[in-house]
Amino acid sequence: MKVLIIEDEPALRNSIQEYLTHQGYICELAEDFKQAIHKVNEFDYDCIVADIGLPLGNGLDVVKELKVLESKAGIIIISAKDSLEDKLRGLELGADDYLTKPFHLSELNARVNAILRRKKFDGNTTITFNEITIKPASKTVLVHNKSITLTGKEYQLLLYFIANQHRVVTKSALAGHLWGDEYDQAGSYDFIYTHIKNLRKKMLEADGEDYIKTVYGTGYRFG
Amino acid sequence: MVKTISKPYMAPDTASVKISLTVKKDTRSMKLLTKTMVYFLLIMLPVFTAGAFYLYATFNKEIKHETDEELVNDKLQWMRYLDTATISNPVFAINTPEFNLQPTDKPVQTKHNLKGVNIYQEPEDTYAPFRQLTQVITVNNRNYQLTLRKSLIEKDDLIKNIIHVMLAAFGGLFLFVLLSNWLISKSIWKPFYASLDKIQRLQLNKLENTVFDRTATHEFNQLNAALNNMTTRIHQDYTNIKELTEDAAHEMQTPLAIAQSKLELLLQDDSLSETQLKGILTSYDELQRLSRLNHNLLLLAKIENQQYPVTDQPDLCTVVEKYLSLFEELIREKELQIHAEMIATAPWPLHPALTDILVSNLLGNAIKYNYHLGHIRIHISAQTFSISNTSELPQIPSDILFQRFKKQHNVYTNSNGLGLAIVKKIADSYQLSLQYSYETGWHTFSAGIYSAING
Repeated sequence: MKVLIIEDEPALRNSIQEYLTHQGYICELAEDFKQAIHKVNEFDYDCIVADIGLPLGNGLDVVKELKVLESKAGIIIISAKDSLEDKLRGLELGADDYLTKPFHLSELNARVNAILRRKKFDGNTTITFNEITIKPASKTVLVHNKSITLTGKEYQLLLYFIANQHRVVTKSALAGHLWGDEYDQAGSYDFIYTHIKNLRKKMLEADGEDYIKTVYGTGYRFG
Repeated sequence: MVKTISKPYMAPDTASVKISLTVKKDTRSMKLLTKTMVYFLLIMLPVFTAGAFYLYATFNKEIKHETDEELVNDKLQWMRYLDTATISNPVFAINTPEFNLQPTDKPVQTKHNLKGVNIYQEPEDTYAPFRQLTQVITVNNRNYQLTLRKSLIEKDDLIKNIIHVMLAAFGGLFLFVLLSNWLISKSIWKPFYASLDKIQRLQLNKLENTVFDRTATHEFNQLNAALNNMTTRIHQDYTNIKELTEDAAHEMQTPLAIAQSKLELLLQDDSLSETQLKGILTSYDELQRLSRLNHNLLLLAKIENQQYPVTDQPDLCTVVEKYLSLFEELIREKELQIHAEMIATAPWPLHPALTDILVSNLLGNAIKYNYHLGHIRIHISAQTFSISNTSELPQIPSDILFQRFKKQHNVYTNSNGLGLAIVKKIADSYQLSLQYSYETGWHTFSAGIYSAING
């Protein structure tokens, strides 16, 4: 899977590259508008992560160019501007998702993952992690080919964990993923523990292995 | 006689204009025109009184003078008659109130003597004023004291007449002033009130469209020119500050994003000790708090600038249901009882993003500050929305209720103290009413569409 990261801040560009590479993607980089236009014209990508504010141009124009090229790549816009107009405009132009800075790398990775699944396989794919099989189309989860019943939030958690497998995922990233902008209304992160406890219990009951590990109270690691 | 009526209209002084602008809310203040009218009438009152006294004195003098002339005339005719009359009776006396002739031993006077006297009137049982002429004259070589009198009884009528005329004139003037005030306020002050109306409806984000037009009055032109200058300057400053704030907030997000991503990557390092990881996590969480804070301050600024136009009327019930399901786990964890009383649809004239914030902040607080097995009551009618919750927290003092960064407690570290300030800002910027009340453990926040109250 090839991902193009268009971001002018080198430190952020490298962070994204490091995280996504570790998750198994092949990452290419573009640091300004000209490079970005050049690369999308020259190569095919599965996913493009584009910043809006770029030297020599605008990230939204890269999205336009991709549409002109009839590219099938998934597009995620990342912007420092939490502006509704920008978001709507980006999605209108054909972007698949919009993420406001600052974001959790695990969240960006999960979104890249979801877009690729949707785009590449029209959602008709199964996600497999050892004995766990997930069918996103029907939202069913099988452990050792035995169906288990998860709540909506537990299902979301499992998907997030598998997308970010082998990485430490912080509680705040999980809370942000499950509750979006309203996660600071929650009061504390304690409720995440309850969800994880339930998810773990259900998987263990289906004779699955215990993949969710608590990491020194900083967060969780799957697998 | 009624010359004093046509007093010129007093020009309004500019100092009063200022007063009427600055103390607009003061109920003791009055309209400039009313004020000038009151002053005008207060000045006119002594003028009219003095005029009445002057008229009275003048007429009194005139009547006295006329009466005296008549008396002298009468005296001459009497003397002529007495001289020519052949009187056998050597000594005689005539005594009437009007004419009195008595023999006297006093020497003959060549000049008559005039004075005012009061004489008792039997039928009316009062004293009446008279003018009296006295002179010692010679008739048939005998000296007589001649006394002639004339009544001044018309004087009373005169005073009555003067008072009547003055009252009529004053009343007429009063009506005249009222009428002219009304006409003047209709025409001359029209541009002033137009400008005032414009100032009152002024909105910071719509300043560029505000132009104070030229008028036919020099002073108003000066005022409007000054206002135009002022609004242009304010608009420029406002735009600059707004851009600066927004740019600063946006620029801050990028370094935050970099720092956060680096810390997230560091957390992946297995070789770090638990203490090191905890330090990293704390920094990571604090960075996020900073970013939320920045986000919320920016949101406050945007709401204040009315950057969320009312384009849609989202259904409040749908929004509440959405957040009830989003917060489902939190509600279940605290085992809260939700009592919702909602009508089928309640479209609210608010931007969808703001409707979300309004509901999530109020509902979020109701859950966050509730206790285990507590209750939440939600009531939605066509134009009101209220959330009540039980809580162990005491009543929130009204002076800090909606203030930024005023946390009511330090138990909940996840609060940034901006939630209610944002709700308040939404209400203020979009003409919603917002009330808070507390009663025996129940905290209630109610929002309402203003037209529901104002009809």
